[in-house]
Amino acid sequence: MMAHVFVCDGIALTTVARQQHILITGWAAEVVRFPVFCVIHALYCCSISLNTHRNLLEISHKICVRIHLHLESRSERLCSTEDCIPGTGTYLRHGYIFASLTGYVLRKNEGEELPVISVVRETETQLLPDVGAIVTCKVTSINPRFAKVHILYVGSTPLKDRFRGTIRKEDVRATEKDKVETYKSFRPGDIVLAKVISLGDVQSNYLLTTAENELGVVVAHSEAGAQMVPISWCEMQCPRTHAKEFRKVARVQPEYLQA
Amino acid sequence: MDTIHACFKEKIGEVLLPGDVFSFRLPESGDGSIKTEKIICGPGLRRNGEEVQVCKSGILRHKQPNMYWIDSQQRRYVPAKGESVIGVVTSKSGDIFKVDVGGSEQASLSYLAFEGATKRNRPNVQVGDLVYGQFTIANKDMEPELVCIDSCGRANGMGVFGADGLLFKVSLGLVRRLLAPQSEIIKDLEKIFPFELVVGMNGRVWVKAKTVQQTLIVTNLLETSENMTSQQRQTLFKRVAEGSL
Repeated sequence: MMAHVFVCDGIALTTVARQQHILITGWAAEVVRFPVFCVIHALYCCSISLNTHRNLLEISHKICVRIHLHLESRSERLCSTEDCIPGTGTYLRHGYIFASLTGYVLRKNEGEELPVISVVRETETQLLPDVGAIVTCKVTSINPRFAKVHILYVGSTPLKDRFRGTIRKEDVRATEKDKVETYKSFRPGDIVLAKVISLGDVQSNYLLTTAENELGVVVAHSEAGAQMVPISWCEMQCPRTHAKEFRKVARVQPEYLQA
Repeated sequence: MDTIHACFKEKIGEVLLPGDVFSFRLPESGDGSIKTEKIICGPGLRRNGEEVQVCKSGILRHKQPNMYWIDSQQRRYVPAKGESVIGVVTSKSGDIFKVDVGGSEQASLSYLAFEGATKRNRPNVQVGDLVYGQFTIANKDMEPELVCIDSCGRANGMGVFGADGLLFKVSLGLVRRLLAPQSEIIKDLEKIFPFELVVGMNGRVWVKAKTVQQTLIVTNLLETSENMTSQQRQTLFKRVAEGSL
């Protein structure tokens, strides 16, 4: 960031742009700090309340323009390379370590070597679904060829964002794959236990499968709105209307069931 | 023992509204002499625990031995699997046609679902054609799918039709009456003059007679016979038959 000094008619207006802040030394000889985005507003208000010195307005415009041009880099200098090793979210420039993300600074000590300094968005790391992980997901829409789901939990940890997944028609069951009807396996709103088979490309979602006995629909609601009770591996019954509906039911392991 | 049947029997032929409830108080005596009765609840009736609720307004009907349902008049069609309907082709995209069947969504019809259709031998279907087909997939969660072919691979009367003629819309109750095995309306109409008739369960009827005037007469007779008793209808048909001859 650059430093600009403007002197006009007895009012010395010094702006030093440094570290995302701008120091304005006004005519009251005070050093005031404002973050960049409100300094422009402050200058404008200040100039109006002082019953405008015309030059002040011009200066504020100049500062606006200059600030605008130099706002790309918002790096904060953390320390020099002699003290720490750069980690994630940081970069090296001219022998100093700068932050490249907005977030919290973490310093980790690793034995005799220099500590690793890194900047993270959140203090907890996000658990991502990996190939072979069992995930809990909710069906959002169905199609004769596949079912779209939102992944809610990985194992037993909830996710902060909802990832999207797809269960293809041939991955619903292990046997008789061509006779599968998605309408008889899942419905929108069902909670399903599935396993990740592929992470997918940039555009496609996670690919999931339920082709095992322990995978499939765990919680489902009937058309009357009541939670259904599983009868067999392919049927569930509503306790209120006693109507049976088809689903691909998961055989939950006995240790996970609450008596 | 006959409590359930008795509850229903006194209301047969009466108009019922949604929210009417049939509740059965089973006798508390544990004799073992309670016979279990089986009742089939048809469309318009729904079981809710120990009671049966009415969900559509209409007349309660009964069929021996134990079937009860509500006969309702409705104009809005909801696609159901297995029903044969008349659709209008609205667009062609790649391998499928989009067909308007009067439901909330347009149905999709694959070009291979016609008799004798292969990847090289495409059927001759244009936008705006009338098709008569059956639903293979029709539920509230997915887009409905039509086919013009039965399970053996034969057309069986389905496919593109209707070079001339007139397509109009009636209520679903009239359509069911027309499609009944021994339909009186059809029998009475046949006596007036010959015509071709295609009835779709989505409330759409297509008529074609020798002249345009005769086609219009048949159309008007069908539309008016919805709200007439059979006697009124027969007198009307007689008047028309005498007048046209």
